[in-house]
Amino acid sequence: MDSITRRSFLKTSATAVAAAVAASFPRAFGDLADAATPGYFEREFGVTDALCRRVLAQALSKGGDYADLYFEHTVANYVILEDGKVNRAYCDVGLGVGIRTVKGDQVGYGFTQELSEKPMMAAAGTAASIADGLAGTPASRFTELKTENYYPLKTLLTSIPLESKLPLVQAVNDRCFSLSPLVVKVSAQFHDEQKRVLVVASDGVRAEDLRPKNYLYAGVVAEKDGRRERYSWNLGGRQEFAYYTPEVVDEVAKEAVGRTLVLFDAVQPPAGEMPVVLGPGVTGVLLHEAIGHGMEADFNRKKMSTYATMIGEKVAEPFVTIVDDGTVPRRSGSLNFDDEGTPGQRTVLVDNGILTSYMHDKISARFYGVAPTGNGRRQSYQHFVQPRMRNTYMTAGTAKPADVIKTAGNGIYVQDVSNGEVRIGEGDFAFYVSQGRLIENGALTAPIKDVNIMGNGPKMLQNVSMVADDFAFDHSGAGYCGKGGQAVPAGFGQPTVLIKALTVGGVKA
Amino acid sequence: MNKEMRDLAASSIKTALSAGADACRAGIDSQRFVQISYRQRKAETIKEASTKGLSLELFVDGRYSVQSTSDLRKDALKEFSRTSVAMTRLLAEDPFRTLPDPKYYEGRSEADLKILDPGYAGFTAQQRHDVVRGVEEGCLAAAGEKAIAVIALGQDTRAESVLMASNGLEAYSAATGYVAGARCTVQDEGDRRPAGFNYQAAAYRKGLPAPEEMGKSAADRALAMLGAKKIETATLPIIVENQAVPNLLSGLLDAMTGRSIQQKQSFLLDKKGQKIASEKLTLIDDPLMPGGLGTQAFDADGMAAKKRTMIDAGVLNDYYINWYYSRKLGCEPTTGSPSNLIIPPGTRSVAEIMKNLGKGIFVTGFIGGNSNSTTGDASIGIFGQLFENGRVVHAVSEMNIADNHLKFWQRLTEVANDPWIYDSNRTPSLVFADVVVSGA
Repeated sequence: MDSITRRSFLKTSATAVAAAVAASFPRAFGDLADAATPGYFEREFGVTDALCRRVLAQALSKGGDYADLYFEHTVANYVILEDGKVNRAYCDVGLGVGIRTVKGDQVGYGFTQELSEKPMMAAAGTAASIADGLAGTPASRFTELKTENYYPLKTLLTSIPLESKLPLVQAVNDRCFSLSPLVVKVSAQFHDEQKRVLVVASDGVRAEDLRPKNYLYAGVVAEKDGRRERYSWNLGGRQEFAYYTPEVVDEVAKEAVGRTLVLFDAVQPPAGEMPVVLGPGVTGVLLHEAIGHGMEADFNRKKMSTYATMIGEKVAEPFVTIVDDGTVPRRSGSLNFDDEGTPGQRTVLVDNGILTSYMHDKISARFYGVAPTGNGRRQSYQHFVQPRMRNTYMTAGTAKPADVIKTAGNGIYVQDVSNGEVRIGEGDFAFYVSQGRLIENGALTAPIKDVNIMGNGPKMLQNVSMVADDFAFDHSGAGYCGKGGQAVPAGFGQPTVLIKALTVGGVKA
Repeated sequence: MNKEMRDLAASSIKTALSAGADACRAGIDSQRFVQISYRQRKAETIKEASTKGLSLELFVDGRYSVQSTSDLRKDALKEFSRTSVAMTRLLAEDPFRTLPDPKYYEGRSEADLKILDPGYAGFTAQQRHDVVRGVEEGCLAAAGEKAIAVIALGQDTRAESVLMASNGLEAYSAATGYVAGARCTVQDEGDRRPAGFNYQAAAYRKGLPAPEEMGKSAADRALAMLGAKKIETATLPIIVENQAVPNLLSGLLDAMTGRSIQQKQSFLLDKKGQKIASEKLTLIDDPLMPGGLGTQAFDADGMAAKKRTMIDAGVLNDYYINWYYSRKLGCEPTTGSPSNLIIPPGTRSVAEIMKNLGKGIFVTGFIGGNSNSTTGDASIGIFGQLFENGRVVHAVSEMNIADNHLKFWQRLTEVANDPWIYDSNRTPSLVFADVVVSGA
């Protein structure tokens, strides 16, 4: 399927694009070997099972219940256009291993950027210092974890030559300018990251993954009657390079330009409590903030979350089901296994209105006596694992989107969200609406922009009064979630939803 | 100067030039850090490591790229340089991309900027644990039986960096930093568990408050949020607490960069020399402030750092313009990004100011929100305390303020006398009149 898409790209590309891509074709696409052949860290860096066992033994030398090694080799590229030319590129290579010792709920952590025995043993010694008992022993043999692959790669992103990326970025720029004479500046970017991960744990798990992540981005500034507006759009995820067809280029440009131009008609957003309708897709950021973080098990086992005593309770109407899912093909938050070797899975947080499960890493799963849910994640080898979200979304309901808007009466409609935040103890959250509409007498009217919306998680859940049948995921490849100083890719999704009342932070009192 | 780092920078530049680069700038960063957190009177996490990274800016046939890596194996580095130079050749030419005119390297401060704590090497593991334990105890004692969870944190770093360029730049900086504080969660009515946190940072260890005091302030901030509720949407004066001010300022700063100006993404475009805020607002960028957390004698281009008044009594004096955007804009460079930001303090305390302000909100933190640097439109959630005639009435949450930066800063009526000194931003509390606060 992927290769067919790829061919259609070559056939339908503008000549300039096709020429550049074709020139590099043999290098880029000649190698169809399985990109994820296991044994990468042994082949490249001499990391053998025997070495891992010695380092794990050192990590458990003062006791502790568990230890793991997280090897990472990440190559990240940015190709950037400004003022009409693709004239800068950034490349970052990250290499290292993080070593963790766990004793109960205590964590010792060390890491090194040199994958040789001496520095690894030293880092393991640092990790071991959290414990002060008798030495433990790691499993005598490691068993390779077999999982589904939610983001297979036929072609390594690192084997895609720069020549193939340049025309994509140039094409987005040219398309943006061709769409409107009001466009005065375009910045465009292609980002790709290929993260190689190997987890070796004292409980015998050995898991190896190749995690791609990428997006094509356009930022547009338009000028009209002396006023300027700016908007941006991107498409991506854990995609093959072949995903970036002329259709994708076109969609990125059209969305970026179209969404910028609409802002010239925006009116002042209202202020105060009112009904809010969230359109499908990225507006799922609402769930991420209003319930997601509060359901991360570390906050609950430490009693810091407003949801700490609500498992099993009815928190929403029966038509509300909210899940956190690592198994969605090619979405930003998908994981074949998490960063401590637990297979990717779908975790139901709210099941037909009942609060069902927290999101666990191995530490919290042990604390609660349940199986880990595959939410143990970290930004890099420099960071220890925390329970984190993957792709968080509300499943589709049965209402029709038009009826949802009609029922809202007077309020606002949210089309795009740029960021959000929550205070997990109170459950108070906020998300920033970069683009939306007024709802007047049950119909969408003037555009609005730049308005923060506030609410309280548990109250908001009770106020979800309609859920439509038009579920969508966000299509961005740039979605991130931050927690405890760590950023990890995350995905969002939602059908059209009516919340009876939220506080809209507009300027018109 | 650290010889090993200097040699690595020099050999990286040499390799790049021999691979065909016309010019090159190399940055090496090396850091040692220790981080400890406590919960329930025992260490919850201990983390310790060293990092080193190389970043190479390549100028090849009028083309430019930046390559960075932590894979510093000799052979890997050589291959890295070679492929990087080859890759750079494929990009489009950019006539504005050059190393800075070396005259901007000159005049670099040789003064002792007091950012490298001579006592760092003597900071023992025992002392580190004692600090964090002290923070936890101070917090637990102050929160009393309301306390649900206290997480105390201590972190310290020693960082060195070398910046070297093929046209004669050779710069070195070494600095220490200490952070400590706590996050305290307390029980409120029902399922509400407000949290307060307070983290202090300083270049020297003696620059931090006593551990118990840091713990207590986190607890006080949590307790101050008990019983929070929203009030009706209203137009009120607000006092933004010193620690929260940098968040507001970031909306202005984003619009002050050379890139925002040149890319027409700034509401401050064409506003240089104009009054963009009330005359109460003066904003100074001082990279040479002794002991500052943003103190450094040179910037990312290697240009000698200088103190600058960015906003002078409400008038926009300068933008943050690095070497590249100075060439694109055809103007003199200043520096690419903020260092230590200072708003000169006023004369009255927040308590004194509150007394004659009638009814208003003391904003102690923000939630969510964003700012559009192109238009200046901004909207952000607030929490804090409702006050009336100098007394706190109750805590407020789930409320929001929204305005355009060009109007909002005109509403600044007073600057308090309480600059927060535990951050690179030395900002006092600020008073704004007639702000629309949306709530119920």
